Amino acid sequence: MAYKLGVDYLRLWKPYVFPSPITVFKTMLDLIADSTLGIAVLASAKRIVIGYAISILIGAIVGFAIVRFKTLDENLSPLILGLQTLPSICWLPFAILWYGLNESAIIFVIAIGSAFAVSIAIESGIKNVNPLYLRAAKTMGAGGLKVYWNVIIPASLPTVVSGLKQGWSFAWRALMAGEMLFATKGLGQVLMVGRDLADISQVVAVMIVIVVLGVTVDKLIFGRIEVNIRRRWGLDRA
Amino acid sequence: MLSLLIEKVSKSFNSKQNSVQTLDNINLEFNKGEFICVLGPSGCGKSTLLNIIAGLEDATEGRVILNGHEVKGAGPDRVVMFQESALFPWLKVIDNVEFGMKMAGVPKDERHEKALKYLKMVHLSRFQNSYIHELSGGMKQRVALARALTLDSEILLMDEPFAALDSQTKGILQAELQQIWLETQKTIIFITHSVEEAVLLADRVIVMAANPGKVKKEFKIQLARPREPENVDLAYLAAGIMKELKEEVEKVAKAEFDNDWTVKKDSLLSDTDSNMGIGL
Repeated sequence: MAYKLGVDYLRLWKPYVFPSPITVFKTMLDLIADSTLGIAVLASAKRIVIGYAISILIGAIVGFAIVRFKTLDENLSPLILGLQTLPSICWLPFAILWYGLNESAIIFVIAIGSAFAVSIAIESGIKNVNPLYLRAAKTMGAGGLKVYWNVIIPASLPTVVSGLKQGWSFAWRALMAGEMLFATKGLGQVLMVGRDLADISQVVAVMIVIVVLGVTVDKLIFGRIEVNIRRRWGLDRA
Repeated sequence: MLSLLIEKVSKSFNSKQNSVQTLDNINLEFNKGEFICVLGPSGCGKSTLLNIIAGLEDATEGRVILNGHEVKGAGPDRVVMFQESALFPWLKVIDNVEFGMKMAGVPKDERHEKALKYLKMVHLSRFQNSYIHELSGGMKQRVALARALTLDSEILLMDEPFAALDSQTKGILQAELQQIWLETQKTIIFITHSVEEAVLLADRVIVMAANPGKVKKEFKIQLARPREPENVDLAYLAAGIMKELKEEVEKVAKAEFDNDWTVKKDSLLSDTDSNMGIGL
């Protein structure tokens, strides 16, 4: 509708700037048919899974360390907060110098892009655990790792999951930025090819794929976990 | 038989500006199987005393001796029941009740069976698969009581467990606690600010003074059980204890409010039948 109005009747935009939904659909079918899209999605998925896994690992270690050691907390927390505001793409020159123009550089950017969000979420999740739960656990004889495993982790899960979700979106952005700059395959690269060939319908097609993938992952993984937590804690009744 | 001994326990909180003495030289003895209520105005340090017994806080001076051993840190031999139930919202009722036994490494079948037994004792076996938010306040405290009982501790510490409940629910739970105490023969140390609750439940009521917290007076309640709240003897005993408590409540209020706040004599917590028409 908006397309019809804008392009065909009012002639606000030129067709090569704003593709019609039909051309986008056709392009998408073409991309699927010659398996460009399939390969790109797989390549991107592989990178983000590895990068995200690394970021969770780093985030968890940093997060737990901050909670455990007060000196680390005082010295590292402002730094981490600052680093989190730094867009992950700013790490790219650094990554290229370290790893060269290859997979590792992209994965590094993904990992560093979301690790801080994850560690901040874990830190605040643990710090905000109701002290009453800890007292109760203590009087029931829980100590050391048992408290972490049975009380602190489940009690901080609601905060941690929203942090993981945020980390996921950061990772996804970092991936696209990295791929658009120098990848040889992947969604970002397909998008960039579209730009280079002035094929605006390919650009839009890839954008749609990115959005759909993002929403799907959100709904299937994080959405389910969140719904489950809300149901248990009784947060969805308000 | 002596079970718990509190020896010269003092506690002060130090901040940069001043230091506040919360507990001052508390000496108490608790016998095995005794039901003791610690009664006092808010701010007299009764919860602090309980936390020290539980091992959740350290005393500045003095020590707590349980069966001949000094208490260090919290442990399942002195389970605490809190005012807010402190149940874990991510676990089902049955898993909450099993929690303490799980920490102690009791095998799964055994702890499930035992958890069910105690859930039955508090009449909530129907709700074993519910989540905590689905329960009412009274039901939560029942679950918390079941959870505390599963640990077979000799001593049960209760920090105003019924204070947040409505009076009907409170009445039912008080009756059941008496019953459970008679069945299990535990030593119960019960913190409360309600005189009626104290005389209804306790063998011995310990009235605490405030600023600093001290033991003011002890009352033995030698009445048959199970007791009914309507019992006239209870009202008589309560009146006597109330008189002791009144002084402390006024003292705390004076310390908390502005200097211009004064209280009309006997206007606070007055029991009308004992003032003999003094206000006429």
